[in-house]
Amino acid sequence: MSKKYQLGLGLVLMILLMPQAAFAMHIMEGFLPPVWCISWGVLVIPFLVMGVFSIQKTVKQNPKLKMLLAMAGAFAFVLSALKIPSVTGSCSHPTGVGLGAILFGPTAMSVLGIIVLLFQALLLAHGGLTTLGANTFSMAVVGPLVSFGVYKLVKRMKGPQWLAVFLAAALGDLLTYVTTSVQLALAFPAETGGFAASLVKFMGIFAVTQIPLAISEGLLTVLIFNALLAYSSNELKDLRILSEEVRI
Amino acid sequence: MINIDNYAYLSKLKKTDPMQKLLFALLTLGVCLWANSIAISVLVLFIMGWVTVCRGGTPPALFMKLLLVPMSFLVIGVLTIAVNASDNPGVFIFSVYAAGTHIGVSLAGIHNAVRLFFKALGAVSCLYYLSLSTPMVDLLGALRRLKVPKLLVELMGLIYRFIFVLLETADTMHTAQDSRLGYSSLSSGYRSLGALASTLFIRAYKRSDELYTALEARGYDGELNVLEEPFNVRWTGYAAAVLVNLALILAALLMPQLTGGLL
Repeated sequence: MSKKYQLGLGLVLMILLMPQAAFAMHIMEGFLPPVWCISWGVLVIPFLVMGVFSIQKTVKQNPKLKMLLAMAGAFAFVLSALKIPSVTGSCSHPTGVGLGAILFGPTAMSVLGIIVLLFQALLLAHGGLTTLGANTFSMAVVGPLVSFGVYKLVKRMKGPQWLAVFLAAALGDLLTYVTTSVQLALAFPAETGGFAASLVKFMGIFAVTQIPLAISEGLLTVLIFNALLAYSSNELKDLRILSEEVRI
Repeated sequence: MINIDNYAYLSKLKKTDPMQKLLFALLTLGVCLWANSIAISVLVLFIMGWVTVCRGGTPPALFMKLLLVPMSFLVIGVLTIAVNASDNPGVFIFSVYAAGTHIGVSLAGIHNAVRLFFKALGAVSCLYYLSLSTPMVDLLGALRRLKVPKLLVELMGLIYRFIFVLLETADTMHTAQDSRLGYSSLSSGYRSLGALASTLFIRAYKRSDELYTALEARGYDGELNVLEEPFNVRWTGYAAAVLVNLALILAALLMPQLTGGLL
């Protein structure tokens, strides 16, 4: 074995054995160039404005829902701090994207999402202020929209409830990280091969490794949803005011 | 878990005007990103570290430990950017041949990666300065003064309060489950966690209900008004924040001429 191979092998082993990032992979503070920080931030604004106005409307009709929304936000934060046991021994954290989107609807999730991400940056040092826009776009806009769309689609095709929840949560989680990979690849195109090559690299590291985690999140969300259906269907009916589309 | 919050309340900078701390952190953060140079990033890291540890009284060990938090993302991200694939091994200073293509790193790639590594560390130190010296409640007051929509600030305040309530509930439940071997195997782990999360949700729902009843009984009319603590507002603080950043910008502009563009 030549020296080069030994070093290469060492590096590969190091990456493979490196303990899984403790939290969901938010893009860290300072990682994106200013242009992209601003672009993603601007892209999030319409969703945020839509969300704030829709929340304002529902809260005016039913002031109690403000407390409920705040609880939902705190629930999403705490959920992201729980550890999912994983097959490979390392543990991961649920993103809560799918559950939130099904329960509260994608518009409310964009507002709750940006608040939760800000708190994660300030209280847990995960994510950052300059990357808040990019992280919000992937976790609080794309993820919930995908989850909600998938949930509706499976329901419309008369698929079983558990399948709808599972696919919504797993695909929402996965697409969040695909978006993160695209964001990173756009900001850092490879020297050889440009955006496409860079996308392949980032997908390989951030999205492919996420597949088993997405499946575990899907399974967990099904368990949570079933328990909620069994014990608190009345409360779930209340939530329909938040996301009118959900039919349980 | 949330010891950043504890240290923010203990910080000697807590009494300082939050607006001034916000300005200093964000300005420096912006300059660090804009300058994109190793020397400036290291400088920012030291300035922020000094202010947080010496002026704020945060234990240096905690600051170092926090710098390690994003390390796994940083190392993986930086390596992903530095390592490239190409058919022509000539562009790399070091490469291995695998799967029909050359995989390696080039000199420019390493340079960019190192620059990014330090830039991110510098930026993170700005974030830590802010979060280790300013409790969330003060920050919300600053946001209110900056005319962020009222609904948003109020939701943030409520969420901040509820996070601690729910975290404690979740922690108690987890301990109870764990002491009954709830996490002894993979399948029981999933079952326990599902039960925990759904119970937590129901608890959260009930609490929001109770909270609303309690608030309404005390004359709640849709707005939560709180008094703010007085802060030491000094114009010298603002001036120092601006001056430090002007110096950094000047250094960033002069640096390429002094070092020949290497840093």
